[in-house]
Amino acid sequence: MSISVDTPTFIAFFVLAVATIAAGLGVIAFKNAVHSALSLILTLLFLALFYLQLGAMFIAIVQVLIYAGAIMVLFLFVVTMLASEDTGDVTEPARQPWQRGIAATLGFLLIAGLSYLLFTGASIDSAAVVQPTNVNGLAAGIAAYGGNTEAFGMALFHGFSFPFEITSLLIVVALLGAMVLGRKS
Amino acid sequence: MHELPISWYLIVSALLFSIGVVGVLVRRNPLTIFMSIELMLNAVNLSFITFSRYLNSVDGQMFVFLVLTVAAAEVVVGLAIIVSIFRTRRNINVDEMNILRG
Repeated sequence: MSISVDTPTFIAFFVLAVATIAAGLGVIAFKNAVHSALSLILTLLFLALFYLQLGAMFIAIVQVLIYAGAIMVLFLFVVTMLASEDTGDVTEPARQPWQRGIAATLGFLLIAGLSYLLFTGASIDSAAVVQPTNVNGLAAGIAAYGGNTEAFGMALFHGFSFPFEITSLLIVVALLGAMVLGRKS
Repeated sequence: MHELPISWYLIVSALLFSIGVVGVLVRRNPLTIFMSIELMLNAVNLSFITFSRYLNSVDGQMFVFLVLTVAAAEVVVGLAIIVSIFRTRRNINVDEMNILRG
């Protein structure tokens, strides 16, 4: 498949990719847990921009509101309550001195394996999956419903209504679990 | 105007996932480990959205929506567990946690 990508899309992708990976590395590299959480918020915002680039408007907004908003506020709240200063995680030596080396080795093995699969095994670009799509591929597919959010809602309440109902049960269980765990016994 | 190849997005997703795995393996603060898990969930979400785009289907976005709710529930329960561990032990280093009893 011959690729001729126009320059703005290309530049946007690379800037976003580098920023996302850098912010993701920040999550595991910062000593202070608050800095890790802020770096994670940055990663989530960059991922929301990725979703916008891929035409998933509703998910991008939900990502910003729920993930970068609600979930990370909860995270920051607990982090500032428990581990606002350096907990010795990075600076103090580990109980297992080989922990970091083995983790790095396993991480590189994972990256190598995934890249190998991406470049050789699946050959996703050509054969099985992708028809060459135009820029409004998804939008053209969902034009019958009048937009991304409308198509999403139609799919959610028709094809996926049972998982949607199960989700409410899951949230109630999580709520009760958090209340039970947070109770002073 | 042509699309970017699908594998580029998947490579970004794979890199983010690997960063999350390394974070879980390296760090000993359970809060940072939790953030690394969130990173992995989001890497998977990125590949869901990518496939949703390239398969012209809205189903991938649906999965992301469900992953998001499950992640929210997981964060609520997990953070409650961490807080209650901190209450009993005054210490949240995972190296020290080797008993289930409170």
